[in-house]
Amino acid sequence: MSDLTVLAGPSRPRRNLAREIMPYAMLTPAVLVTLAIVFLPMVQTAWMSLHEYVLFRPNDFVWVGLENFKAALQDEVFWISLRHTIIWMATTIPAQLLLGLITALLLNQDFPWRPVARALIIIPWALPSVVIALMWVWIYDSNYGVANEFLLRLGLIQRAVPWLADPDTALAAIILTLTWQGFPFFAVMILAGLQSIPRSYYEAASIDGASAWRQFWHITLPGISGVMMTAVLLRMIWVANSFDVIFVMTGGGPGYATYTLPLYAFVKARTNLDFGYGSALAVLFTMLLMVVVLFYLRRTRKAMD
Amino acid sequence: MRMLKVLTLASAMALSAGLAHADSTVRFWYHFDNADNPMDALVEKFEAANPGITVEAENVPWNSYYDQLYTSIIGGNAPDAAMVKMFALPRLAEMGALEPLDAMLESWDGTANLQDNLLELTKGPDGKHYYLPVQYVVLYLYYRTDMFEELGLSVPKTCDEFREAAKALTRDTDGDGQIDTYGFGMRGGKGGHDHWATFTLSREGVTLEEGLDSEAGVAGTQYVVDLFRQDEVFPPSAPNDGFQEIIGAFKAGKTAMTIHHIGSANGMVEALGDKVSAAPVPECGGGRWTGFGDESTAILSSAEDKEAAWKWISFLSSEGNNTTFNEATGQLPVVKADSENWSLHPQRFVKATVDSLPFAELLPNVPETSDFVNTVWPVSMQRALTGEITAEEMNAEISELFAK
Repeated sequence: MSDLTVLAGPSRPRRNLAREIMPYAMLTPAVLVTLAIVFLPMVQTAWMSLHEYVLFRPNDFVWVGLENFKAALQDEVFWISLRHTIIWMATTIPAQLLLGLITALLLNQDFPWRPVARALIIIPWALPSVVIALMWVWIYDSNYGVANEFLLRLGLIQRAVPWLADPDTALAAIILTLTWQGFPFFAVMILAGLQSIPRSYYEAASIDGASAWRQFWHITLPGISGVMMTAVLLRMIWVANSFDVIFVMTGGGPGYATYTLPLYAFVKARTNLDFGYGSALAVLFTMLLMVVVLFYLRRTRKAMD
Repeated sequence: MRMLKVLTLASAMALSAGLAHADSTVRFWYHFDNADNPMDALVEKFEAANPGITVEAENVPWNSYYDQLYTSIIGGNAPDAAMVKMFALPRLAEMGALEPLDAMLESWDGTANLQDNLLELTKGPDGKHYYLPVQYVVLYLYYRTDMFEELGLSVPKTCDEFREAAKALTRDTDGDGQIDTYGFGMRGGKGGHDHWATFTLSREGVTLEEGLDSEAGVAGTQYVVDLFRQDEVFPPSAPNDGFQEIIGAFKAGKTAMTIHHIGSANGMVEALGDKVSAAPVPECGGGRWTGFGDESTAILSSAEDKEAAWKWISFLSSEGNNTTFNEATGQLPVVKADSENWSLHPQRFVKATVDSLPFAELLPNVPETSDFVNTVWPVSMQRALTGEITAEEMNAEISELFAK
């Protein structure tokens, strides 16, 4: 101890040392927990993806290198799932964004019962996915569902459509469900953004004679673009990973009509117990998602600076 | 990997050590979807008769039952005993997760009271017994007596008659241009392989492992696909329909026939009264095939106190207790004496079950059967029904799985 004191010199530098170590010491528990529950499983998944590992043959943990990845790239179902994932993300998120934007603009107006409307709008977002999925299964039901009843009465269809049992409509039906579930998130985020824009901007603009459209384009949109961007990136990661609604509504069927990559990885690992191949699918998908994650990280860093 | 296993095991042991208060605890997993669950009463009765043994019976939802069971075994936190079906036996045996019961069966005086042949049917791939039967069912054809009478139809005995009947029964009953009743409620989703098998595996020389891609095998699948696509005698939702849907549709009069077992009979009678009856499935292509639905109990090899676990599972397959157990599940008791006094189902359904026993079969006793049931069959059947692949391609996919 005394040696250290001598080396470190008198008390001032020692206090600095303590001050330098303190933040790390306080962060350590959080980092350790994150390492244990996030990174360890990730590394484990990557490790498993390089093996042939079928759960009901626990003793055969065979190193196969990149075989699983090669098999995935030659697997028809992988490409079908990837295509569906892309369609799914490319339609759900813009639809949610648009619907959320319209809702936020409406909710930003002054009208009686506004707080009630705001509370109601959050319901789809607050419900558990499984409840939403089961609810929509009933709505789409070809025998008793209200969707068919409604369209039949309006004369838009001649006979009941099995929305979830027909490969041509199943994916679209699920996309509609997810859009409904997710738009309140955008509405709430954008509403928060809208309220941070000073009223005086609009007053100044209207004095200058700017039309409502120009006000929206030059004041509102720039004012909420940051929030929108963050929301879209966040939502992309969530939408990409959430397969619970699909799993409950169709289980991927009919055939492969509603398979997405996370669902395929889940089916392989959890139902077929093929953890090696399932992990490889998960790793491939993670690498694809990395692009989005990197964008997100860059944004948050910018915001921090 | 190993480190993690050790950790899981250690925490599981610490947990169970903390929970153990009696001399011995049997953790038992089962799956009942009935609200009316007799397990607490059975546990109470057992514990009173066996002081020193505590039973922790846990009802695990059916949808994830096997996923949870397999992962708990790998994770080192398996129950001591569990309710199990035959299709899982090869996998569980391969994992070394099951305790052989032969010695216990030999010294147990209840063995002779079990229904004939049940122990033979539930033998393991290596000839040893790992399963103790607890209930069984056989699939048969449900039909609406009133609709058959109205149209002057007789119960179909062959596939051709079945097709004609299904066509006649598919009709618009209220004249609004919409089909109100479909001939047959086909289970195209998970668990529906028995329906398909009745029309396909019945054919001569066709089993899952052999002859599926022969002309006869393909004809079976084609028959099912044609019923849906050409004759339109299934509800349009058939590709996704599971148990709830086919039973619900039949009870609601949306379908006039379907295939299931005695487990749903009381619910059917409650909804339809005398308008529902049952008969053995039709003969298709020279033979008949119907599914034998089994449910057994097994002791896991990781169980701490195997003797206590055996006491508990043999208790469930003993006279009287087996009746209580089956009253809740609506299936049939495995104990002879309990069957003789069985009055829980109308006789016509018990008769259809017994008449079907001679040609009832189990799926092959191989590890691939799990994949067949869970993914390969549902996906390929749905694709065939929706026209994405041909009957030939569907059968080829299944043959390929079993050829591995």
